[in-house]
Amino acid sequence: MDRTIARSLLGLSEPISFALRSGLFLCASAATLYLLLAAHYPAIHDTMHNIRHALAVVPCH
Amino acid sequence: MPLPSCPVIKSAFALLLLLAFICLSDSAHADPLAIYFKTSPRFELLRPFADPANLSVLVTQSDGRPLAGAAVRIRLEAPPPGRIFSTDFPIVEGTRLFDLRLPLVRGRAEWKYLFPIRGNYRLSVDVLRDQVTLGNQTFTFEVRENETKWFVLSMFLLALFVLGLVAGRIFTGANTVLAVLVAMLIAAGTPARALAPADENAVQREGLEVSPPAVGKLSHLSWRWNQPGSFAMASLAIFHLEKEKTVFAVEKVPSNSEFSLDFQFPDGAEYRVDALSEAAGRAAIRGEKVINVTGIEPPVSASIPALLLFLAAIALGLGVGRLTKLKSS
Repeated sequence: MDRTIARSLLGLSEPISFALRSGLFLCASAATLYLLLAAHYPAIHDTMHNIRHALAVVPCH
Repeated sequence: MPLPSCPVIKSAFALLLLLAFICLSDSAHADPLAIYFKTSPRFELLRPFADPANLSVLVTQSDGRPLAGAAVRIRLEAPPPGRIFSTDFPIVEGTRLFDLRLPLVRGRAEWKYLFPIRGNYRLSVDVLRDQVTLGNQTFTFEVRENETKWFVLSMFLLALFVLGLVAGRIFTGANTVLAVLVAMLIAAGTPARALAPADENAVQREGLEVSPPAVGKLSHLSWRWNQPGSFAMASLAIFHLEKEKTVFAVEKVPSNSEFSLDFQFPDGAEYRVDALSEAAGRAAIRGEKVINVTGIEPPVSASIPALLLFLAAIALGLGVGRLTKLKSS
């Protein structure tokens, strides 16, 4: 289904297509970064605990 | 120079001298103590969660001799929150870290402390004798961030920039990867769950008491030995078990059956509190307690500036990647 939705978006001009792809990429990156560095989910938090502290500007507890 | 002969002028001159003497003696009396604060290593070399620093307060009288028979009340305030970026312990920012009273030994009080975050700390010292404040002073000093953390942050930003740059080059031109990206976005989005609070105190030992500890609040620690009225030298140390570092320690504080302080545990983790009282002619009394400090998750809003910084690095990479691809083609 995901591929079907994607195929329907393929007829766009190159600059719009780039903007759309970049926007989607940034959204995916934001979600990933949030999960890794800001979410309170214990398993991820415990794994990333030292990295969060090592980055100096990422809050932890 | 000869004094004027008129008696009125003589009297006025004498009065003036008397007033000057009173003013001078009064100003000397108002501030008879000098309070010095020193750290080892010196301020510029202090780093958060590195090694515990030796801190000392020296109180001298106006003639330079150490003040005897007095005590100091010492309070340490954590740096206030930064304008944009949080430290790694945002709950600690702007809160009181400890409040303790130490007797002056040869005019000096010493203790060890591990500073938890970067920023400007404020240390207030009140010199007390029989509940009367003889003098006070506030010291401000900066603890700089560990350089290794800035290096790691720089490398992380560089990695994000390179990721964006590669993506920007791929996204410029053919549309082949759009479907993959849309699929990635639809697949993303696992809901986060709140962190379960840590257990309360695990071990209880008679004599050594710690009020329920939580990050962001002062806990009351008291160490009593079972001989009321007995004078002893008390030592107390707080040890971070995970980081294997001493976060606070005082040694051989002259105390009468009890030593106590208010202390904030800066990190939600396990700590061990060791206490010892030694007196001539009897065996040393020891106390030990392992406590589990309740961690408080920072609000998501504290993470937003950092996340935006990381996204900005990726976005910059995307832009540069597109430009380089367009130029090369």
